[in-house]
Amino acid sequence: MQCTKVSGSAEQLLDPAAAAWAGVPAEALTMAATPLANQPSEYIKASRDEKQIGKCRTLNVQSAHNGTEVFFRLSWGDESENDKEVTDTNMFPDGCGVLLPIGGGDAPIEEMGSKDVGVNAWFWRANYKPDEARNTFAHGLGSTEFSKTSSIRARGAWQQGVWTVVFTRPLSVPELEKEAVQLAAGKSVKVGFAVWEGGSGERAGVKSFSKEWRDLVLDA
Amino acid sequence: MAEMTDEEKKAQRAKDLANESKSAKAQLKQCDRQLAMVFDLNKCLGCQTCTIACKTLWTRDEGMEYQWWATVNTQPGKGTPRDWQQMGGGFRGEEPRAGQLPSKRDFGEAWDFNYEEVFYGGKGNAAHLKPSGEPDWGPNWDEDQGGGKYPNSFYFYLPRICNHCTNPACLEACPRNAIYKRKEDGIVLISQDKCKGYRFCMEACPYKKIYFNHVTQTSQKCIFCYPRIEKGVANACARQCPGRLRFVGYLDDESGPIFKLVKKWKVALPLHPDRGTQPNIYYVPPISPPRIDEQGNLDLAKPRIPTDYLKFLFGDEVEPALEILNAEMAKTKAGGKSEILDTLIVYEWKSLFGPFTTDPSTIAPRSA
Ligand code: SF4
Ligand code: SF4
Repeated sequence: MQCTKVSGSAEQLLDPAAAAWAGVPAEALTMAATPLANQPSEYIKASRDEKQIGKCRTLNVQSAHNGTEVFFRLSWGDESENDKEVTDTNMFPDGCGVLLPIGGGDAPIEEMGSKDVGVNAWFWRANYKPDEARNTFAHGLGSTEFSKTSSIRARGAWQQGVWTVVFTRPLSVPELEKEAVQLAAGKSVKVGFAVWEGGSGERAGVKSFSKEWRDLVLDA
Repeated sequence: MAEMTDEEKKAQRAKDLANESKSAKAQLKQCDRQLAMVFDLNKCLGCQTCTIACKTLWTRDEGMEYQWWATVNTQPGKGTPRDWQQMGGGFRGEEPRAGQLPSKRDFGEAWDFNYEEVFYGGKGNAAHLKPSGEPDWGPNWDEDQGGGKYPNSFYFYLPRICNHCTNPACLEACPRNAIYKRKEDGIVLISQDKCKGYRFCMEACPYKKIYFNHVTQTSQKCIFCYPRIEKGVANACARQCPGRLRFVGYLDDESGPIFKLVKKWKVALPLHPDRGTQPNIYYVPPISPPRIDEQGNLDLAKPRIPTDYLKFLFGDEVEPALEILNAEMAKTKAGGKSEILDTLIVYEWKSLFGPFTTDPSTIAPRSA
């Protein structure tokens, strides 16, 4: 997967409808249910059917950088927009995430990293405030923690059954040394993606994911 | 030895992960002692003082409007949340059983009243105090509806809080291990720092005693008043109860009323023991008033509250428990003495509270 060098500003590219995105190649990734057998809760295993999990089956991904900031534009089909505000006990927001191993190690993608190799997840949910995104890091299933600060911004738009979400972050974030991946032009990193369909009650490990790491090569 | 195939490796990994999670859960469930309560249903008058005591103490913040950690429902009835007994959860044998997520409407949304208009708007004589809109459900909406047919109608009250279960379905369900039993007293708590509001616990609790707070985006529930317990003060719902029916104490305290009622005399039983969570709130089942036959005479052959209904609530053990209670009543009627009934009468108010008899007004307020 290529992370294309572009010249737009973060403000321009953060707009999911920005014209600049037309010039960035898109890749359609096949998504699958996260393996039920690995869920860190016997209840989740017993109460769900893997065939019903992972409503999002195809995710279109574009990636770009402008020398200082990196961008991911994710889009997928979803008939319902869930939900800008989660006010009821049985409401769950749609969401998506970008996953990157910290320090380039070979962390198992389906287990959110391991004790030795952390993963960094960029996390957006439909009920977040405008432009809000969270930086999270994990060392294995069920261990995800939010960082106190997040240098990530994200903007999502749902239109006619399609979500489009753009994430952006400075390539390097020295303030989050242990909790985030450091990127640079010309470098190559591993990347994975996840989508939650809130209308079907997807949350936590109940989601669709991109099955294996892709190599993301940042244009020099 | 043959190399493992990819499939075998995956299966092995899944097993290892399951074992890891099992031992993590075992640790979270482990406790040295267990606090418990006994509720005597023959004394509950449905006054909701416990409900309000808890509400005013713990659930007044925004996002908690619909939360009632202590509830009192008329039985038979749909309960709170509506039809919670049909919402699954708990365990079948060892296996967790799927449960539903109740909505706020099922619990009963907090109503807005026209206080402004009635109390401050100068219309006190013209306007009635009423909720806005047309509410069609609320906690204990079916109050005093009961069951049976006149003249053999019946009802009783069922106060409920989180059961601080020995095998909590909520704890088992949480993928973040945010729910734990306190080591020193078995109180079940949800770490508000770890909780991410996923609500698997809410699905899994067969008693539907977990609430989602949309402001904090976390799950919350009865905390067994642990900040009071730590200061030797009994739970607010128990201390405020004018019916003297909520006993508080350690389950293993052989000299206390809880041990005696639950373990020794076996007249206090958990609610829905078949759900497999091993609750630590126990109930003295309601003793029926006599039936009245077609001629208007007392019919002592059958109890007015159908035994099958009580078995549905408290399991088969309810029959021997009622036999014991009835025998004790007969004993005292004949002029004898009954230690069981004396315990349940609670001559001395403080005897309800085990070691937690400190008067809360003697405790210095928390510094801000
Ligand atoms: S009653 Fe429900 S919330 Fe309370 S400990 Fe038991 S399973 Fe958990
Ligand atoms: S024990 Fe405390 S927190 Fe629990 S229901 Fe009673 S008053 Fe509320």
